[in-house]
Order: sequence, then structure tokens, then C-alpha cells
Amino acid sequence: MISKITYGEAELVALLQQRNNQAFTYLYDNYSGALYGIINQIISDRESASDVLQEVFVNIWRKIETYDISKGRLFTWMLNIARNASIDKIRSKSWQNDLKNQPIPDDVNMLEDQSVKLNTDSIGFKKILGKLKEEHRSLIELSYFQGYTHEEIAKGLSIPLGTVKTRIRTALLQLRTMIEQQ
Amino acid sequence: MNIEEYISSGIVESYVLGLASDEERAEFEKLCGQYPELVAARNSFELSLEKQAFDNAPKAPVSGKQKFLDFINQQPVINPESSKIIAMENTNASKSSGFRWLAAASVILFIVSGWLAYKFYNETVTLKSELQNTKDEQAKLDNRLKTLEEQQRVINDPKVSVINLTGMPKAPASSASIYWDSTSSNVWLLVKNLPQLPNDKQYQLWALIDGKPKDLGLFDPQGDNKIMLKMNNTQKADAFAITIENRGNTGGPTLEDLQTMGKAKL
Repeated sequence: MISKITYGEAELVALLQQRNNQAFTYLYDNYSGALYGIINQIISDRESASDVLQEVFVNIWRKIETYDISKGRLFTWMLNIARNASIDKIRSKSWQNDLKNQPIPDDVNMLEDQSVKLNTDSIGFKKILGKLKEEHRSLIELSYFQGYTHEEIAKGLSIPLGTVKTRIRTALLQLRTMIEQQ
Repeated sequence: MNIEEYISSGIVESYVLGLASDEERAEFEKLCGQYPELVAARNSFELSLEKQAFDNAPKAPVSGKQKFLDFINQQPVINPESSKIIAMENTNASKSSGFRWLAAASVILFIVSGWLAYKFYNETVTLKSELQNTKDEQAKLDNRLKTLEEQQRVINDPKVSVINLTGMPKAPASSASIYWDSTSSNVWLLVKNLPQLPNDKQYQLWALIDGKPKDLGLFDPQGDNKIMLKMNNTQKADAFAITIENRGNTGGPTLEDLQTMGKAKL
């Protein structure tokens, strides 16, 4: 997929920052699938995920000036926009009303129940996630896919903050290894 | 700092996936400026993540693309290129509106200046004509003044003698005076009263020398502004006489029409 890219990344970024419509069309053609996949990891409902994807591209369009190439790749920047937009969506009132029986718990004691519902049949990243040990998997699920801070998780799971941080990092390193081996 | 340890601590993955705290992010970015191997590690994970995401990318819903394109096409003001165009259009608009104003102003100016030119032209014509009249009047007055001065000089000149010409039986009311400088031979005629003549007739002044007439000049009867007329010179004269002759008479005097006559007192 990356090999299909005909723009150099710096060139593409420059054009995007000039609000070049052609560059944005190219961006959509080449990145929408991967970003939709990121969103899908958090929101499985196709219609809602589509809405979020739309929102993500609008956000990219609006925030493109703030992207700093020295701090990371364009895709990484967009991935985080997609992830944050997805988390915002599942935390929104309308989302929680729609789910009704599946509220995102304010009481973090329910977090573990939430993590049990993890769909390990999901594609890509989440599929890899299923291979992690449970103690690691739930922490990734809570922090990466549900956007809880380390402090919130530590409090909710009654685990020391340092332990949360260490476990998450260990989990991430394992994820990386699995991703690179894929 | 042991950078290898830092790289393998999971901070790279935490940073890239957006799980690092603000302080962790700041530290990571700062260290990236110092350790190229940290940047390389970050870049390596980013590429793996990107590859993984692309390899497993589902097909994005088709409807989204057009929606997005519609969105960006509806954002002309935020789009810097378009806003440049808008700015140019505004500039053009203001230029052309400025041009319109300029054109309107120049038309008004043209009309006003045309009217003023017409007005001033007419005034100039009037003034020129008035000036010419004044000049003419001035010249007339100058001439008259010169004549009167000359007349005054002649009258006051002790060498000049005055001969009164009195009315003859044919014209008893007629009278004139001759001012004659016998030294210089100059002769002036001052008409006091001579009747108007038909257009084909003129008065003629004669000097009588030894019974023979000498032509001293034809003259027309004057109106109210009677002035001294300079006539032909004569060295000698026994008497002066005025006759009525045909206009431009070159012959001798018609003595039967003798109007006035006076003897020179020599």
C-alpha cells in the first residue's frame, strides 16, 4: 500500500498545508482505508465509523498546519486524530444513549467487565492484541482503545500507577514485536 | 542517560500511539533532538505500525470521499489558495470599482471643465472685445487730446495769426477761423459753423494770392466735435475763402458758392 504512494511525504504535507484539494483527494484515496481500520478497532458499527472517518478527514483538513513532520510521520499524526475522534465518539452522550445497556462506566471498577467484551476477531491491531496476556491486553484496551489515562486506570483497577505504566509499556513492546513479525 | 535503555523502555511505542503523558512527550521530543537513534527507533515503529494498518486496512465507505470533497470545496475562505484568489478578486473588485469611480469622476470633471472652458471662452471674447473698444476709445481720446493740445499750442503761439472768415451772402451764418503761421507756412482751419452738405459735396479752403486762388485742401463738415484741421501750407495769402465743391474737386474754386471769406492782415 505504501509503495503506491507517489507523493513524497514532505511534498504531500506541503501541499496539504497549502489546502491543495488534489492533495486532499490523494490523501483520502490512499489513507481512508487504513484510518477507517483504526476507527473500526474502537467503533465496530459501520455507520458510526463512517461518520467518524468523515470527521477525521475534516479534522485533518482543519489542523494540518499543526502537523510537525519532525515529531513523527503523517500517518502517525492522522492515526492519533482517528483514535481521539473515535474515543470522543464512544464517550459522547448520544453514543451512550444509543448503546443504552453498554454505558462507558464512570465507575472504573466496571472496566474489567468492559475489557472482557473485547472482540478478538477484529482485524489487525486488535487481532494482535488478543495474543497478549490478559493483564496486558486489558490495559491496552483501556488506555489505547478507550482513552483512559494511566491515573484513571490505576485508580479504577486499584493498581499502583507505576505498575500500570510499566505493564502498559511492556504490553506495547510486545505489540511492537508482534506487529513487526507480522 | 542510557539511551538504549530509554529506547527499549516502551516510551517510543507509548509516544507514537499517543499514550504518553505531556511530560513524557516533552522529554521524548527533547531527546529526539539529541539522539538520532531515538528518532530512528521512533521512525521504525511508526513504519511498522503504518504497514500493519495498511496491510489490514478495510475498504473505507465509498460515500465518504464525495462528502469530504464536497466539504473541502465548500471551504473557500479557509483555503489559503482560494482566499488568495478571493483577496485578488476583492482587490480587482475594489480596483474596478475604484476605476468606475475614477471614470465617473473624470466624466464629471470633463463636463464641468467643458462648461468652465465655455464660460471662460465667452468671458474672454467679451473681455477682448471690451478691451479693444477701450483701446479704440483710448486711441480716439489720445488723438483728440493730441489735436486739442496742438490746437492749444497753435492758438497760444505768438507767431500764429488768426483770420476770421465771415459768412458771405449765400451763407450768412457760416463762420470759420484760419490760424496761420506765416513763418512756417502752416495753416489750420477751425470751423465754427458750416452747414452739412450732400454726400457728393465737400468744402474747400482756398488762399487768395494776388487775386489767384490756391488750393489749401478739401474738408468735410464736422459734427459737434469741432477740431482744428491742418490744411495745406501757404507762404503767402491775401485772403482765405471756403467754397462748396464736388467731392474730390481738382479744379478751381466755384466762386458763386463762396461761403466764407476773410482777409489776411499782413
